[in-house]
Amino acid sequence: MTGPMIHRYAFPIALGALLALGGLILLLVLRPGLAPSRAEVAHQIAADLRCPDCQGLSVADSSSASATEIRRQIDAQLSSGRSPDQVKKSFVDRYGEWILLSPSAPIAWLLPVGVLLAAIGMLAVWIVRSRRPEAPAATSAVSDMDRARAREEAEALDA
Amino acid sequence: MRALRWLLVPIVVVPVTLLLLHGFSRDPAAIPSALIGKPMPAFSLVTLEGRTVTASQLRGKPVVLNFWASWCPSCVDEHAVLLDAAQRYGNSVQIVGVLYQDSPDGARGFEARYGQPNWPTLLDPNGSLAIDFGVSGPPESYVIDANGIVRYKQFGPLTPQVIADQVGRLLGTAGAGGG
Repeated sequence: MTGPMIHRYAFPIALGALLALGGLILLLVLRPGLAPSRAEVAHQIAADLRCPDCQGLSVADSSSASATEIRRQIDAQLSSGRSPDQVKKSFVDRYGEWILLSPSAPIAWLLPVGVLLAAIGMLAVWIVRSRRPEAPAATSAVSDMDRARAREEAEALDA
Repeated sequence: MRALRWLLVPIVVVPVTLLLLHGFSRDPAAIPSALIGKPMPAFSLVTLEGRTVTASQLRGKPVVLNFWASWCPSCVDEHAVLLDAAQRYGNSVQIVGVLYQDSPDGARGFEARYGQPNWPTLLDPNGSLAIDFGVSGPPESYVIDANGIVRYKQFGPLTPQVIADQVGRLLGTAGAGGG
């Protein structure tokens, strides 16, 4: 393919690729997935809850007595028709937000990310500025005319 | 402008230092209770002696609800503090033990060794009451007022001072009798 041909087809190809990518993302987001079973929902809730008497484990991953009882209560609450959010809230009401492995308030996620982005931005600005070439030195205060005159005077003295 | 740039240092350093100081000065295992100011969860449990106790029966006087276990080392010292408190406050305060992930035999052996309490110990075989109170491990205690409202959570063993402060506050004798 010659250069002009590439130029001619580049835009349609790029547009097509972009449209295909957009379509794929839409399909992934909007596709009607199979409804999860109650056991899957229960497992997901348990995975989101912190095991109260373990170190850094979720209720789903722990075999402690508390985790076992919490899993039983999750199942019982789902069986009685409560929604996953209501089930989670019932544990937050007792343990506080601590019981959630991921904080529910977006600020808790956004704040550290914001600070990190700001720090990276400031670092980038600092690096760019420190790499910028020095401004050209100011033009000499001695003009070419002065130089020529000085040279003439020196020659006159030598003669 | 150049001098202003140096202002960034305290702007960044001071909050980060305060945050770290706050983080390191607290017990990471201590969980603030979500129940403070709320009614205690309803329950109906059986004591070591086979008697049924319900939450509503505990109304009328301040309650110290103590989650403990015979395998918990700091529960030994705390038991002595509770025995002393039971003697000090008599009938004006109700102490109630709740066995946490332990067997009745383990509890009886503990009581025989470290002193027979005059308060009931509730059996919580599947730990549902501990979960209702948001307990993460023994010893953990809750001070509940005469109306059944949870007023205080003690993470770790109770001390004479904590009992004097928290129970005394409910009895109107805060600070007296501690030490």
